[in-house]
Amino acid sequence: MSDPPGTATALPHPDDPLALAEYAPGGAVALTDAERWPTLDAAGAARLGAVAGHPLAPAWVHRTGDRLSADAIHRATTPLPAAGWLEEHLAVARRLPAYRRRAERLGALATWPTVTRDDLLDDVSAFVPLDADLDRMVEGSSSGTTGRALQIPDDIEEVARSFHLLVRLVADQGIDWRPDPARMALAYVVHQRQAFTYTSSISSFGQATMARLNLHPSQWPAAGQRTGFLLAQQPQVITGNPTSLAELLHPELVAGLRPLALFSGAMALSLGLRRDLERAYGCPVIDVYGLHETRPIAASADGGPFVVLDRRVHVEILDADGAPVPAGERGEIVVTAGENPLLPLVRYRTGDFGRLVDVAGRPALADMEGREATRFVAADGSLVPCVDLTQHLQAGGAHGWSVRQAGDGAVRATVVGGDPVQIGAALERLLGRPVPVVRVAGLLDLGEGKPRRYESLAPGA
Amino acid sequence: MADQPAPFWWRLTNSAGLSEPDERETAMAAAPFSPPSARSTPVPRPESPAAPLDSEALLDVWFAREQDGVNVWRNCQPGASVAEIATRLALVPAAFLSDDVAILPLAENILQMEYGRTVRAIPDRRGQEILEVADQVRASGSAFARKGAALVLWLWASDDQHGPLSVPLSPVWYARTLAALAFRLAPVVDPAEWVRDADRRDEAARTFLLWSGQLPAGEDEDAARSILAMRDSLQQNQALAQTMAEHEHRLQVTKRLQEARAREAAARYSNE
Repeated sequence: MSDPPGTATALPHPDDPLALAEYAPGGAVALTDAERWPTLDAAGAARLGAVAGHPLAPAWVHRTGDRLSADAIHRATTPLPAAGWLEEHLAVARRLPAYRRRAERLGALATWPTVTRDDLLDDVSAFVPLDADLDRMVEGSSSGTTGRALQIPDDIEEVARSFHLLVRLVADQGIDWRPDPARMALAYVVHQRQAFTYTSSISSFGQATMARLNLHPSQWPAAGQRTGFLLAQQPQVITGNPTSLAELLHPELVAGLRPLALFSGAMALSLGLRRDLERAYGCPVIDVYGLHETRPIAASADGGPFVVLDRRVHVEILDADGAPVPAGERGEIVVTAGENPLLPLVRYRTGDFGRLVDVAGRPALADMEGREATRFVAADGSLVPCVDLTQHLQAGGAHGWSVRQAGDGAVRATVVGGDPVQIGAALERLLGRPVPVVRVAGLLDLGEGKPRRYESLAPGA
Repeated sequence: MADQPAPFWWRLTNSAGLSEPDERETAMAAAPFSPPSARSTPVPRPESPAAPLDSEALLDVWFAREQDGVNVWRNCQPGASVAEIATRLALVPAAFLSDDVAILPLAENILQMEYGRTVRAIPDRRGQEILEVADQVRASGSAFARKGAALVLWLWASDDQHGPLSVPLSPVWYARTLAALAFRLAPVVDPAEWVRDADRRDEAARTFLLWSGQLPAGEDEDAARSILAMRDSLQQNQALAQTMAEHEHRLQVTKRLQEARAREAAARYSNE
């Protein structure tokens, strides 16, 4: 099981002017399989090999595992106790380098200052406990759609524990999700021009298989390859974002897939798409709200408010000055997050806005803004998800941006930092139309909220 | 007949006695520093030990160099003895411990001796690095940093008067050593103490050897590390030790994140 990933056509094409080096197949492979899956047995390896080497498999860009030892598997399957966690969490946070000089003035949560993404960008190490076990650290980049990429210290066990959170959320819907050797346990689907793709074994779930798949047509050169592969794997659960989940509405997939549940994340799931997916698959569609920095915060299984998860997370709604808004009023969602031991956050400003309401006695987030799923219309009429733009804005060094498409299709970009010429050229190649890029001095010049703005008024976007 | 260059000793003591621009000039005798006896008047302490904020500001200059202490220890070679260096420190001319010591001209003079040409035109990268550190010392405005740097310059130049060290110093590490003594040790121990107090002299000698890439003669890495850790004034200053620990933490986290990025991510299960 130490063969290089994927032997199919190497994608992206080496001559592709939009190809980013990190997405070259095998470009980020460094471990042995014994390091990736320390407990993998022969049956698990056979299942994994069958997925990796399936005749219809895509060209895997990456090879990655969960790195869990037997002890770690046991810990990862057990939720961290949530009772009384906040006091313990604040005690840990007072010892962080970020707060050392004012720790004596920090009492109850309300006395703490808020933290922003820029604080983490400036010096994320100040938010990592001095006694943290750095051997458990993996690097995660918060991508995506929220501005300059942030390197986040993720904890191997916490990442694995997030899988079992999904299992519990499925169980909450009355569905018993157990490993089925005949099926892939989970397919994590994306739909973007370039992405990390891999298949892995879930050590803490009967060594069932999972895969991160890019549903973008360019990744499946053979006719019927995408549908054939997905039907062959019959993933029990599929996770993705609205853009990738919308692909699941393809009639061939609807006719053949039998998922137990679908999960949406990263961007707002419209009610229309939710209903279409529910009708197509007859299974729960669970929208999970969270940030990479905070880990999952809340979930909505019915399209209503997002109920705050019963885990180490505390949500406040604050105004621009950091003061709590009156109950039920709208404001910025600020999260205290204690699931990731390598990044215990206190009062982290998410840049998203909403109201805190009560749902059956539990706090929930309603009327959320800040997770818009924007797509742009290219000159040839194809739809380009904003994550594709994000990759090139970040590659061009931008710290923040605003990209707007007018009703006539014209696109303009405003960036903070970076190389406007490089960015303009990349966006023009991506959208097939000129994209004037203006550089401004600071994030404040983009206005309030997240350091990214995407808007498309083009018909069909 | 061409003019003979001024003797090094003359230039050295004169530059050491120069005041920084716009400060009072001090004519200092080039006599060795005399440790105070019980009967003598204590050497005036022109400046109280650096206030924590001043010390932290100087330490920040050191931290910005991002020196990896573990690697430095690992790469040390057998060197001169602590006693040799400590003796040289005790023999420092008093002018070097003047509050007004003009560190940049002093460094230039010593480099001129090394390179035998006008210092401003020295093409050598290492020479320029040393001058850059000396200029950082000057710009810090700290008498402690100036005196600490002056003592390092004295140790380099003292061969001229006291003969070569048993193991020659490598100029490769000159800039690093100058920075270590001026920005890591001087903020926590007045350099006058490096001369006056036996323990602090031992600490300064060991610190000098470490950043010069040398293990003290007769000691292996473990022994040398252990003794210096015991002497280390920075570690014994709780507040500054915390600052140091945070700095090392920052280096570690940054390094681990970069390594982790180069290695592989872990499998993930959903969009966030």
